[in-house]
Amino acid sequence: MSRYAVRIGSALALLAALVLCASPAFADDHLALRLDGKTIVLAHVRSQGAARAIAADDPGLLSLLNAIGATLTWQPGERYVLFTTAEPVVVSFAVGDTRYDVGPVKQTAPFAPYLLGGHPYVPLDELLHALDFAIKPSGSQLVLQPQLASLDVQSSDMGAKLVAHAGIPIDARIASASSNKLVVTFDGVGSILPATRVVGSGPVQRIDVRTTGSVLHPQTQVTLSLAPGTTHTAAGTDDQRDFTIGFNGAQAGQPIAQAQPAPQETPQFSPAPSPAPSATAAQVQVTAVDTQPQNGSVAISVAVSGNATYEWHRLRPPDNRFWLDVHNARLAIPPADQPGSDPVTAVRVHQQSPDTVRIALSLADFDTIDVAPNAGGVLITVNDTVADEKSVPHAGSGMVGDNAVAVASPPPGGPWKFQPRPSPSPSNYVAANPRLIVIDPGHGGSDAGSIHGGMVEKTVTLQISKRLQQILISRGWQVVMTRTDDRDVYAPNDSAKDELQARDDVANTRGARVFVSIHLNAYINSGPHGATVYYYKPSDLALAQAVDKRIGASVNVKNDGIVKDKLYVVHHANMPATLIEAAFDSNPDDRALLADPQWQQQMAQAIADGIQDFAGAPPPPSTTNGE
Amino acid sequence: MRTSRAFFWIAVLVVVAGVSWYVATHQRSPVGDRITVYYTKTDGASEIPWTVSMRPQQSGESAAEHLRNTVLYAATQTIAGPPSTVSAIRFPTGTHVLSADVNDSTATVDLSGEVKNLTSGVLAESGAFKALVWTLTAIPGINQVAVRVQGQTLSTLPGGHLELDEPLRRSDW
Repeated sequence: MSRYAVRIGSALALLAALVLCASPAFADDHLALRLDGKTIVLAHVRSQGAARAIAADDPGLLSLLNAIGATLTWQPGERYVLFTTAEPVVVSFAVGDTRYDVGPVKQTAPFAPYLLGGHPYVPLDELLHALDFAIKPSGSQLVLQPQLASLDVQSSDMGAKLVAHAGIPIDARIASASSNKLVVTFDGVGSILPATRVVGSGPVQRIDVRTTGSVLHPQTQVTLSLAPGTTHTAAGTDDQRDFTIGFNGAQAGQPIAQAQPAPQETPQFSPAPSPAPSATAAQVQVTAVDTQPQNGSVAISVAVSGNATYEWHRLRPPDNRFWLDVHNARLAIPPADQPGSDPVTAVRVHQQSPDTVRIALSLADFDTIDVAPNAGGVLITVNDTVADEKSVPHAGSGMVGDNAVAVASPPPGGPWKFQPRPSPSPSNYVAANPRLIVIDPGHGGSDAGSIHGGMVEKTVTLQISKRLQQILISRGWQVVMTRTDDRDVYAPNDSAKDELQARDDVANTRGARVFVSIHLNAYINSGPHGATVYYYKPSDLALAQAVDKRIGASVNVKNDGIVKDKLYVVHHANMPATLIEAAFDSNPDDRALLADPQWQQQMAQAIADGIQDFAGAPPPPSTTNGE
Repeated sequence: MRTSRAFFWIAVLVVVAGVSWYVATHQRSPVGDRITVYYTKTDGASEIPWTVSMRPQQSGESAAEHLRNTVLYAATQTIAGPPSTVSAIRFPTGTHVLSADVNDSTATVDLSGEVKNLTSGVLAESGAFKALVWTLTAIPGINQVAVRVQGQTLSTLPGGHLELDEPLRRSDW
């Protein structure tokens, strides 16, 4: 009996030892880090030679990520461990691979991330560095010190701009300014930047960085040596984490996209960013379009003066047209419409819109086309061989310039441009009640819609809808509203599907001629404005076009045109349907219009006119089924 | 005699298993070392591509696994969006990818609950998902994108407009 007890005891002891050894908690160290007066404990840190590894799902690390606005993407069993910083930049590690990526920049870690006890261990100091932090000793404790992580001079036609970025919201000021020197002080951050950087030409010629203060209270001083005659703006910020100063006319504190309208041209978008300051112009130029017949093919070479994106489309036989748009570009040569060389019957080059140059080809047949971007532009090769309509791409895109790349085209088998795939809703719809229009005032009851500047979407949509109702009734239409007061159509606090389907059901069960949903658009900032008319099914298109045309012609609001979008209420209405976003309640000017009863009447009138342009005059009552 | 025949069949079995393992683990992925990520401009209409480098297929990583990892990486990049200095329609702060999967040509992306804050209006709602669909369908082999939120399929976001209960394709825009 006692022998068994000893054996069982030994076995249990061995098992316990094995479990303890296998447990990562057993081998892991704790690391207590001071950050902003608090202590963050990383419980799963391991020495890895001279480096340190941290379990990506360590609770202390997760709380740190949360505190600095970063997130982790990883699931048990996954090879990839992805962190998204607040900037945002994606930091990508993979188990078994020393390579890691910080945004577009490839880096090499001192060890490959590995799995232990089901947890992925990644290089700690490299991760913190990517998050713009560094571990610094201060007496007996370790401090997680935010770092001034980047200091870039960005040039454009409108001048140059200095943009600084750190791991925490920046607290900076211009400490002193003279004709040739500008000293900027950044409080609370250390620096991982080189002590001296010679920028060369431009308003900022040299940058010196010096960190003073204590580890807990660091201060980084940046001295900018300026070219003679350089002017600068006061400091500004694009967002809380950036600090900007404009030089020689560039504005600080404005989104950089305004100084450089095509963000894809800024260096941070290139796969291998250049450390040199950007010198991109606001727009590139299309400087030449040459057509060269070759053996059985025609090569059309489009010369572009810098980095730009493009997209191309082709139409199905027998149309056979092809066009390529170069974005954010100006045509530097006269527009042309010239006969081509077989199999290209015509080549047209023109400024399609203020920022798009279009090269359009008419083809004798459905020929094979190859689109190849390069450093100086894009080469379109049309081969005199008939392509298989079912297997060739219909569209594609890419970039020309330093980082020329052709984007994989949408897989064949998708729809052709201008010929949307058949919708589940009947396009040969016959209204059971051709005199009936259903108006859907968006939101209502427990769902207020968007709220901006005291304006509540559900209230304004009902006001416009009631005006539309009156106009249509006065013209002889029968009108049913999905709601006539402030209520949910299905039930309070119902699901979006139940609520939206209930609105469609009002029209579907009555066999209405047309369904119109009235909404207000909104955005997180006050920039976007204007009216947009949405459609989804092929049978919606003509209605949306008619309504949009009337809005554009007679309503005092920017016309943002028609947009295809898979909006639930439009999709699930059996009849031609449209959703009208009358204006943006997030834009003060639009909001003033929306609040004006005369403007509401103008909008309702335009929608009624558009409906009638589409549907014709209401049929006499005798033809209805007596709704 | 019987023993040598048994050895022969065991050897055949080992060779077949070895070859199968090699083929399964060394099949090349059609995904290159760069992927294109799109964002939607604040006009809601234009998709702007940029490229990010992509870790090549690793040893021991099957083509299917690499495709799934590519989808996870591309979706994470799309949701992060371009640098903050760029004016782009963005997913709500804190939104991240919980998981990604691929079945046939459908990529399924499970998003964290923060995405439910994307209800400022049709412009943002549609623009954000349009960028996600354009990015993932630019990956060879992916035709459509199914969206989940915290593991659930939603008809639309709460108070939203865009239909999410069926996989989205580029042709939905």
